[in-house]
Amino acid sequence: MATVARPRGATDLSPRPNVASANQQLPGVADYEQVDRDIGGSLTPTAGWFGALAVAIALFLWGAGTWTYQIYWGLGNAGYNPPVMWGVYIISFVFWVGIGHAGTLISAILYLFRAGFRTTIYRCAEAMTVFAVMTAGLFPIIHIGRPWKFFWLIPYPNWRLIWPNFKSPLVWDVFAISTYLTVSATFLYVGLVPDIAVLRDRATNPVRKRILAVMSLGWRNSEKEWRHFARMYLFLAAFSTPLVLSVHSVVSFDFAMAINPGWHTTIFPPYFVAGAIFSGIGMVFTIIIPIRKFFRLQHYVTINHLDAAAKLCLFTSLVVGCAYLVEFWVAWYSANQFEQKYFWNRVFGEWWWAAWIMLTCNMVFPLSLFSQRLRRNPGWLFILSIFINLGMWFERFVIIVPTLSHEFEPWQWAHYAPSWVDISILIGSFGWFFMWFLLFIKQLPVIAIAEVKEIVPPRLRSPHPHEDAIDVTGRHQAYEPDTPGEFD
Amino acid sequence: MGIVAAFRELDATVDAIEDLKRQKISDVTVYTPTPRHEIEEAVSPPTSPVRRFTLIGGFCGACFGYWIAVWTSDYWPLVVGGKAIATWIPFTIIGFELMVLIGALATVAGMFINSRIPKITMTVGFDPRFTHGHYGIWVQEAPERARIVEETLRRHGAEDVRHED
Repeated sequence: MATVARPRGATDLSPRPNVASANQQLPGVADYEQVDRDIGGSLTPTAGWFGALAVAIALFLWGAGTWTYQIYWGLGNAGYNPPVMWGVYIISFVFWVGIGHAGTLISAILYLFRAGFRTTIYRCAEAMTVFAVMTAGLFPIIHIGRPWKFFWLIPYPNWRLIWPNFKSPLVWDVFAISTYLTVSATFLYVGLVPDIAVLRDRATNPVRKRILAVMSLGWRNSEKEWRHFARMYLFLAAFSTPLVLSVHSVVSFDFAMAINPGWHTTIFPPYFVAGAIFSGIGMVFTIIIPIRKFFRLQHYVTINHLDAAAKLCLFTSLVVGCAYLVEFWVAWYSANQFEQKYFWNRVFGEWWWAAWIMLTCNMVFPLSLFSQRLRRNPGWLFILSIFINLGMWFERFVIIVPTLSHEFEPWQWAHYAPSWVDISILIGSFGWFFMWFLLFIKQLPVIAIAEVKEIVPPRLRSPHPHEDAIDVTGRHQAYEPDTPGEFD
Repeated sequence: MGIVAAFRELDATVDAIEDLKRQKISDVTVYTPTPRHEIEEAVSPPTSPVRRFTLIGGFCGACFGYWIAVWTSDYWPLVVGGKAIATWIPFTIIGFELMVLIGALATVAGMFINSRIPKITMTVGFDPRFTHGHYGIWVQEAPERARIVEETLRRHGAEDVRHED
């Protein structure tokens, strides 16, 4: 397990922070009370948080206002130029669905694999998933131009006796995305229930206490509750694991089921899933690194945790890079001139700059994570995560726009340029996402209290025969805040 | 009547649970700030039946997913030459998604039903310290045996013991 690995150069056996040993994953956390105190304390709003929330709301309102403008004046304002009738909205839809994937990977798949580093970052990633899928779900509705008719894709009994076509990838999308949103939100909420009970029993404001009491469903931390909870959590994780793989596979079918050059390929499902997880881990870094710094939670989200997540990021980057190269190889090996011309056009044609942004951000920059020094540098991880977000948005741009603007016949070829309406709604989607996220992190624990307590050694009357490092009072090694890189 | 005891240490709680079991006191509820295998072994509860909810929910969801796709395709056929009206490969996507959806929701319902939540009242036999850092034991016993229970809990290092009716 990554968290128990000793970093290179640490040859001494003296206590040092964030160097996990077999029985100490969080050396800076002494007991259960400290967990409640530290994580509960992070819920107090600050001026910086209010400022960030104000910016997010302003961006969201700008986007919402632009959408209203588009509804009034029509979809022609969105920059579409036939045959390029998928643009920024579908690009952003795929981008945001992808962002959501890391949350389920970290909370469900890594749970099944018993990866210890997930414990302190999974809550953040789960919340990110829910808000990202909420954001993604808006884009097809925005894209259809007449959003009040989106429910036509939902199978419901109606007087016209018309049902959606279940052989259409667009209907598969509706089922996949709505299932994913429901299961992710359920996973997030039920995981929160024990933590909400902690907040309920610590709350002093009677109104807040009452709200938390309702939300915690009367949870009491009894052994019976935990037993059923653990079993439920295991099965939810087991369901979520194939779900996360299926959702982006289904999204990829939106493209792969078509015969357009660059789309009609069987590599798309695994390629999309790997890309989604890669982009999601990028967004996890974008979010968790400022949170650990500004909430002073460096002793929970430790350098070891970031290091392990960075290795996962590097791995998915290599998979994505391999998929990029295989696409070119398949085009050459197929001897299909349309495929070959398309891929030549992708990197040397009109959209060469987008393709090279994609290749540089997603293939080249992440190679820096082979360096342990950079993997353990939060500043670099944050900068890299911005490049990854950028690169993954452009990956979807490169998949969609060059194909539609450069189809089989030259007379079909067309130009595409996003309009200010597209760009405003894209910016507004970031405002919408971060607005929800910022509201979440000041109302509910951003780190899972109950699961962190699981890795904090319990208080004992007599030392455990196999845990010699824990004394009879359960005290840990002293925390050293001046370790290089720890508070960057 | 009932007795609530709060413990600071995990091993003291485990010793108290085992001692209560030796004395044939069975109506014991244990509270723990986080799941611990030591407590689970001491209580030795039956396997959680939540898995049955998962199985039944997942099976029903998959059946419903295939059924709605096949039935609506037959009811409103989109005839394409040489193509089947009901095709199981694309319909597997619908069947799979609904298996996950209904199975997951049934699993959560199973946890709620078996854990008896949501609870309306939680003042009896509970202490807010049990969600903080303390372990707890709540014993319901006849008044004549309450004294024995209290002595057992105190002997094993209970920080606080109180009676509740």
